[in-house]
Amino acid sequence: MAVTTAGGGRGIGGGASAAAGKQHLLEMREGARVISHTPARLNTAPSRAYYFYLMLPAIIVLACITLYPFFWLVWMSLHDVDVGAAADKWNDFANWIRLGRDRKFQDGWWLLLQYSAMCMVLQIGLGVLLAVILNGSRHEKLLVTIFLMPMMMAPVVAGLVWYYLYNSTFGWYHWLMQSAGILGERSILGDPSTAMLGIVIVDTWQWTPLITLIVLAGLKRVPRDQLEANMVDGAGEIRNFFQITLPNIYPFLLIAILLRFMDNFRFIDHILVLTGGGPADSTKILPTYLFDVSFQFFKLGRGAAIALTLLAVTIVLGLILVRVFQSPTAQTRPEDS
Amino acid sequence: MASSDVVRYRSPLRSLVNVLVAIFLVIYVVWTVLPLFVMFVSSFKDLLEAFKLPTVGDWSGITLFFDFTPTVKHYQSLFLDHNFSVYLFNSIVASAGSALISVVLGAMCAYSLSRINFRGKQDLFFWIISTRMAPVVAVMVPLYAIFRGAGLVGTIPGLILAYTTFNLPFAIWMLKGFFDNVPYAIEEAQMCDGATRFRAFLSILPLVAPGVGAFLVLCILFAWNDFLFASIIGSGGAKTLPVATKELVQPQNIQWGSIMAAGVVTTLPMMFLGLLIRRYLVAGLTMGAVKE
Repeated sequence: MAVTTAGGGRGIGGGASAAAGKQHLLEMREGARVISHTPARLNTAPSRAYYFYLMLPAIIVLACITLYPFFWLVWMSLHDVDVGAAADKWNDFANWIRLGRDRKFQDGWWLLLQYSAMCMVLQIGLGVLLAVILNGSRHEKLLVTIFLMPMMMAPVVAGLVWYYLYNSTFGWYHWLMQSAGILGERSILGDPSTAMLGIVIVDTWQWTPLITLIVLAGLKRVPRDQLEANMVDGAGEIRNFFQITLPNIYPFLLIAILLRFMDNFRFIDHILVLTGGGPADSTKILPTYLFDVSFQFFKLGRGAAIALTLLAVTIVLGLILVRVFQSPTAQTRPEDS
Repeated sequence: MASSDVVRYRSPLRSLVNVLVAIFLVIYVVWTVLPLFVMFVSSFKDLLEAFKLPTVGDWSGITLFFDFTPTVKHYQSLFLDHNFSVYLFNSIVASAGSALISVVLGAMCAYSLSRINFRGKQDLFFWIISTRMAPVVAVMVPLYAIFRGAGLVGTIPGLILAYTTFNLPFAIWMLKGFFDNVPYAIEEAQMCDGATRFRAFLSILPLVAPGVGAFLVLCILFAWNDFLFASIIGSGGAKTLPVATKELVQPQNIQWGSIMAAGVVTTLPMMFLGLLIRRYLVAGLTMGAVKE
């Protein structure tokens, strides 16, 4: 249904087209006689104002708790911020200059990248495998319900439970791995070489199911005729997967990757509980370092500078994500399929 | 619709694959459920029983895990000695308060955004969604400075406001998708019958009620499970369940029974709520990008 300018449709999105369509019907029923259509008030200026008023409270609240703090953040990054009552002091970009020679800051980015990469590879691999297995399985409903359970858990609680399981004196997983001969006497979280892996495994435990669910939704929308046509051409199941299924679920995979990637930036609950950034800073990814600088040492000015770098990267990722959301292939409303 | 039931031929290879798949699934399910199971069982164990572990390599020692006499004393001590009823109350008020504010304001905003077009709407939209995606720690730095000045640190209103920073954009974003699916013609018909604009808005609310309810529950879930805001903004006067649970971990004398019991108290309500709104869960967790 095309949006016409009938009835003075000054930009009412879905409304204008509906109004135009209705008017169309009326005209058809009345033959050639044009009747006076929709109420004159409908699309005029006052009604737009009404919608803006309705929107205003949310926008004001959101501006107060996000936009205002953002400017504060910029201000803080340029000043010495004292926890006491003293006024903030301009410090000639000292917070920013310091970032350039802050080893922990650079290591933080590098570790964040490593951490995200390890999580991605493990979770995407497992998630896709599980989704393919679940798709069309007899027990799909039951299994999905089971997989949802870890996601409902507070990440802190999940971290604590795993802390217990990993413990080198009474942890069952530690015992299990030692008995299987995988692990020596060392504890998993106490050793710089395995601590990161330990955290990645907890993250994988809790969030792989999310990737499975996203990919599963994608698999349901792979056109069957394409699969069949390819099989007629002599493709086996594995070739079919790579030639037909994978290109079809690509936008879903992208969404899953971006969402998880941003969550790795957003949440550090697991790390705070399991290692607190240690041992020997081997798990001090950037958000954890930011947490330490700001809320352990209360260097809020330096924290603000670090936070801004983190925000900048997140916003770029967010832009990409929104673009993927709005691309036509990712439009997955049920009525479209 | 499903792509899996393309013709398959029976062959030895296929049955081998089937067996492997079944084994993998069983292992994965056990792996998923085991930590939850251990948490649940350990919360009923006495202190020494929780520490019992067989010697390395002694596989038959697994039975030791089930060798205990159930006790509910950890649950009792949580509420009698550790003030958990207060923390439970804080958690409920803070998460429900923020969810209510977010959904009411969010519904109004989302409805308007779905009904009109204006210049800069896309930019507004991106701003709204980007506030939701911002790293919690980064948001918290200025918020902490502001709240400290305003005396909001350690109070429940402060915590509610902090939770609203991620719940409100979420509610707007999700509910907009919901209102987009309600045809404008319904309101139009109402208005032709003489209803005011606000009455027309109210008249379509029953149509979106299930979605609004589900997103209310999701907002509660996000706020309830939050740890970072609660530990910094809520520290002191407004301790919530996750923070209280974490604080049970002391350098010496770790009370694992109590910690596991606290974990169960924190987790069970959310698991129940999550299964209640299962239909909307995937959409909610993926910011509406994927619908089941």
